[in-house]
Amino acid sequence: MKAKRIKMLSLALAATMLLAACGGGGGKTPANNGGNSGSGSNAPSNGGEPIKEIVLWEASGTRELENFFIQNTEQAKDLNVLCNAYAPLLEIDNKGVLQPAVATEWGSEDDGLTWTFKLRDGVTWVDVNGNYKADLTAQDWVTGLEWVLNYHKNAGNNTSMPIAMIAGAGEYYEYTKELEAAEAMALDTTKFLEMVGIESPDKNTLIYHCSKNAPYFDTVATSACLYPLSQALIDELGVDNMVGMSNEQMWYSGPYTITSYIMNNEKVLTKNPAYWDKDASLFDTVTIRMMGDTNLDDQLYETGEVDQCDLEESNLRAIYEDENHEFHDQLVEKRPRKYSYQMHFNFNKLDAQGNPDVNWNTAAANENFRKSIYYGMDLTARWARDNFIYPTHCENLAYTMKGLLYFSDGTDYVDKVIEQLGYPTTNTTDAPRRYDANKAAEYRDKAIEELTAQGVTFPVEMDYYVLARNQAAQDAATVLQNIIESIGDNYIKVNIKTYVASLTKEVTGPQLHSVNNSGWGADYGDPENFLGQELYQDDGAYYSNKYSYINKVDEAEAPELIATYKEFTEMAKAAAAICDDMDARYQAYVDAEVYFLEHALTIPFNYEVVWQLTHVNDYSKMEAMYGCQTYTYKNWETSTEAYTTADYEGFLADFNS
Amino acid sequence: MIKYTIKRLLQSLLTVLVVATIVFLLLRMLPNEYYFTEDQVNKLSEEEKNERLRAAGLLDPIGEQLLRYYGGLVRFDFGDSRRIQTGVPVLKVISERFMVSMRLGVSALLIALAIGIPLGILQAMNKDKIPDHIGTAYTVFINAVPPLVSYSLILVFGAHVLGLPSLYSTRRPGISSILPIACLSLASIAHYALWTRRYMVDEMNKDYIRLARIKGMSNRNIMIRHVLKNAFVPLAQYIPASFLLTISGSLLAERFFSTPGMGPLLTDAISRYDLNVVQGCVVIYATLGVIGVFLGDVLMMIFDPRIRLVGKGETR
Amino acid sequence: MSHNQDELFRLVDYSADAAERIGYSNYSYWRSVLQNFLKKKSAVVMAGVFFFLVIFSFIALAISKYDYATLVPESSLAFIEPNSEYWFGTDNLGRDYWCQVWYAAQTSIKLALIVALGECVVGLIIGCLWGYVRVLDRPLTEVYNIINNVPNIIYMTLIALLVGQSFTIMAVAMIAFGWLIMARNVRNLVLMYRDREYNLASRCLGTPVRRVLTKNIFPYLVSVVILRLALSIPGTIALESTLSYLGLGLGLETPSLGVLLRNARNSFLDEPYLLIFPAVIVSLITITFYLVGNAFSDAADPRNHV
Repeated sequence: MKAKRIKMLSLALAATMLLAACGGGGGKTPANNGGNSGSGSNAPSNGGEPIKEIVLWEASGTRELENFFIQNTEQAKDLNVLCNAYAPLLEIDNKGVLQPAVATEWGSEDDGLTWTFKLRDGVTWVDVNGNYKADLTAQDWVTGLEWVLNYHKNAGNNTSMPIAMIAGAGEYYEYTKELEAAEAMALDTTKFLEMVGIESPDKNTLIYHCSKNAPYFDTVATSACLYPLSQALIDELGVDNMVGMSNEQMWYSGPYTITSYIMNNEKVLTKNPAYWDKDASLFDTVTIRMMGDTNLDDQLYETGEVDQCDLEESNLRAIYEDENHEFHDQLVEKRPRKYSYQMHFNFNKLDAQGNPDVNWNTAAANENFRKSIYYGMDLTARWARDNFIYPTHCENLAYTMKGLLYFSDGTDYVDKVIEQLGYPTTNTTDAPRRYDANKAAEYRDKAIEELTAQGVTFPVEMDYYVLARNQAAQDAATVLQNIIESIGDNYIKVNIKTYVASLTKEVTGPQLHSVNNSGWGADYGDPENFLGQELYQDDGAYYSNKYSYINKVDEAEAPELIATYKEFTEMAKAAAAICDDMDARYQAYVDAEVYFLEHALTIPFNYEVVWQLTHVNDYSKMEAMYGCQTYTYKNWETSTEAYTTADYEGFLADFNS
Repeated sequence: MIKYTIKRLLQSLLTVLVVATIVFLLLRMLPNEYYFTEDQVNKLSEEEKNERLRAAGLLDPIGEQLLRYYGGLVRFDFGDSRRIQTGVPVLKVISERFMVSMRLGVSALLIALAIGIPLGILQAMNKDKIPDHIGTAYTVFINAVPPLVSYSLILVFGAHVLGLPSLYSTRRPGISSILPIACLSLASIAHYALWTRRYMVDEMNKDYIRLARIKGMSNRNIMIRHVLKNAFVPLAQYIPASFLLTISGSLLAERFFSTPGMGPLLTDAISRYDLNVVQGCVVIYATLGVIGVFLGDVLMMIFDPRIRLVGKGETR
Repeated sequence: MSHNQDELFRLVDYSADAAERIGYSNYSYWRSVLQNFLKKKSAVVMAGVFFFLVIFSFIALAISKYDYATLVPESSLAFIEPNSEYWFGTDNLGRDYWCQVWYAAQTSIKLALIVALGECVVGLIIGCLWGYVRVLDRPLTEVYNIINNVPNIIYMTLIALLVGQSFTIMAVAMIAFGWLIMARNVRNLVLMYRDREYNLASRCLGTPVRRVLTKNIFPYLVSVVILRLALSIPGTIALESTLSYLGLGLGLETPSLGVLLRNARNSFLDEPYLLIFPAVIVSLITITFYLVGNAFSDAADPRNHV
């Protein structure tokens, strides 16, 4: 996709919308076709009535909202609620494609260096009861970004993407850091506008200047760092009281207002009468019940107290195996969560005393050793932990998440990677595509020979950590242990260990893990956001610095490993430099990714695909691979009749066609 | 008496202060890393982390932090919550929750007293007969089955058989409180029945009761005028504290029924390193505990005029 | 006639033997305890059940078809109801449940007994000092107030975070905060009996403190100590299962009944046997111990010996 084409496309979309508005109907999100064709009424396709007051649930221990201030939080548990309270520049549709929201058209004419957004009129801020407070204008995005980048106002939250992409953002952040707290809190946007690459020539125009060519910058517009904030609200509450404001004090511009918030019990979102998108189909209320005990959702679904439930393993089995069960025909598979899970090696593992674990480190640096695991893991049983009905639906062969990026001919980036790795892009069997026992045995024998010569003792001990109270993770680890240990007798010994509260603080920080499974979800729409995390000697590379510790490996001790990393880093950096031709950029990234995987520097592990009972058509939800909009309760197709397995198979077929 | 009360209160204040200090110091033993969320630990550089810690005053000498903390305590200011409800004063966080816990707890306690004490009396009066055995079986069973199991059974029975809501709801506080109150009161009933029976049986073996019997007093009269009255004295001591401490909620029951109360607050706050909330909770619990003991002594004195508080130790 | 004072009276060194000879009667405390206990048939049966349970947990593992250490997950065998091959069925990973349950039962019994004994020893020693040594009353009361006023969950969380999770840590932590009640009970009794006339007399006669404590006061303590012991065992098991539920319990290597109970909660509606077996064993342990403890406590009360 070229930047110019984006602009054309968006203009076309805007025109369609205008027409649609005049016609008094039709799709307001034109690319929307996953069973979400009706507007306003959003009639369900399975014969039921749309639900007016939906009740959903979350786990209170880990998913309760802590902060109502969208610019001030980076946590999904806050953003999942707050995305309903604010109006963004752009939105995402159910296919993962950017759609106009407050910005009606947008684009860049200089390969992603300058981005212009045209904003619609008639968007307003309201209080919790829906009473008008102010108009939402381009100035509110300037205020919002100033708040984010002001160290004393926002304490560094949400700064990473703006600092990396917007001209002058880092300098302004450093500038405010030097100021006294009181002085920084009192800053208005004058100095900010001087320093940072943002301007609003009029109330309907917003221009960002990037610090480098960022052909993907518009995808950032769905993230919390580029959300609006009204100066009038700051004036009303006082600059010191912004952090800590309540749902009753804050202002709303999104589809809902948060009318009730009872911590660890219940939140109620009520339709915002002044919401700009009059064609959107919204619920009258959305109730989110918080559960201290997460396996209650099945029970609540049965008694009709919630409209969706995830199925616990034993319950799923019981329903699946009993043909006469009332829910037997209603088992539906969720769409994959947006995370691509990898098994990351730690190349600089330490023991509990802080000394290097030489045995493991030497083994992990050996390519044959890594490849024996890469090819030797038959993960079917592990995937069956999440999805015992179709384990291979959890199969992941690539590093980047599928469904995030597309070539201009519509090919999924990830399919290209899989193709180049030499696997079929769809799995028609129920066997894993990568698993190859013969290859694994070959690499294993070579590894044993080479490593024995280097003084490595077998079995190699592999420490794997799980959260103590998470029984599902422990079960999965037990299965994984069995899978890895069956690569060879006396080859690898997996030690399952536990941590109490924090993986980073207790395990990966002190470098105690041998391998760790971690899922990465995109922050913005570019392969750089995935592969950039694995670069050698790069400060921004998350996994290199925090999981694999490749930067701490002594080059003299593992020359091959470092050489491989350097080669990969060069390939990825070359790809990042291509900004004028997106296809060429993606192809270069595909090559880098294939190189990375063929040397088994990480091992693609799984997607999360689980089963549920539901009254919601998941294919009508926003499919936000990046940004914070996944949980926006807008244009959902729901039905008083539960969806059936057949309904969902139909949705999937429609979706893929 | 007044002098004694003042002395007691001052001592109590000291205890609370020491508890607050100890908890303060204990919490400072946690590594500073716990101050940050998972994401922040990874994303922030060492320099940025230090800056934020310094901004929060956590890098100051421990004595200075402690003095600041005492300063806040004097003004009843426990600071702001950092992770439970970002930026909201701790007192507000707590005050939003304790009413729920207290309502459930007090209801459960009243039920327990109303059923448990009569049950104990019934048992004592029919010692070694059928009612006694039934009561004992109940107390033994309740004590024997871990709450994790008994709560699960109550939950399933209540939700599936009786159709009661299995989650607490502020919109229907009445009906949705039934199951949590049932869970809480089951154990307390057993507790009060057990101790009522025990104290009464102890009392019944005393010489003056034998004398009363020999005198020809009716059994009923003996029970009400002597045994019960005297057996109630040791029981009464703990009742005020029990009432006050309902504020702290029940960790397990509240988590089970997702009650928006104090129960899970403390563990949540610890695991999220929300130090101000932890300290606030602990100081409040300690204060209530100490007041409870004091009131217990007063209550005992009312029931048993022989007991004189003056000159007695704090613990009994 | 005047006699030399020295001939009439002479100072005799204290001799335990001689003292015993004077006060000798046919009464033996422990024999009476045993006799009284044996009179209560139901308690004797319960004691038998408890010992049988302990012994059986070893037998059960020995005769089990599967070895706990070599259990392997096999998804096709998941959730098999109890049958002749899997006596207690299989769990969600298709592992034999029989050996897991008995292995866990051993862990839990071991933990409960160690904690109960530890509480007993620590509580008894501190309680005696607290009650008998006047100087220590004030400081120990303060220590008690302070520890008792800080919610246990804080200690437990801090210990899990700072020290780690293992059987030893758990046992030590539970003892460290469990002795309080025992010590207070003991202290109150010691206070009560310390200044009774016979003890005053004993002390005037020069009986050493140790002897006053062990021979004159201790018998009165046994009853309370044993009752406390009996109550501590269900307490330990319940606390352990609660801590497991919160993720602060034992590590992975040492599955306890608490951990099994926690796991079974996820599936007990569909597979009730997963909950029933460990729950029944837990209840058996606690009920037997409670009843035996009660009976033994009655039997140990010297007032019931006459």
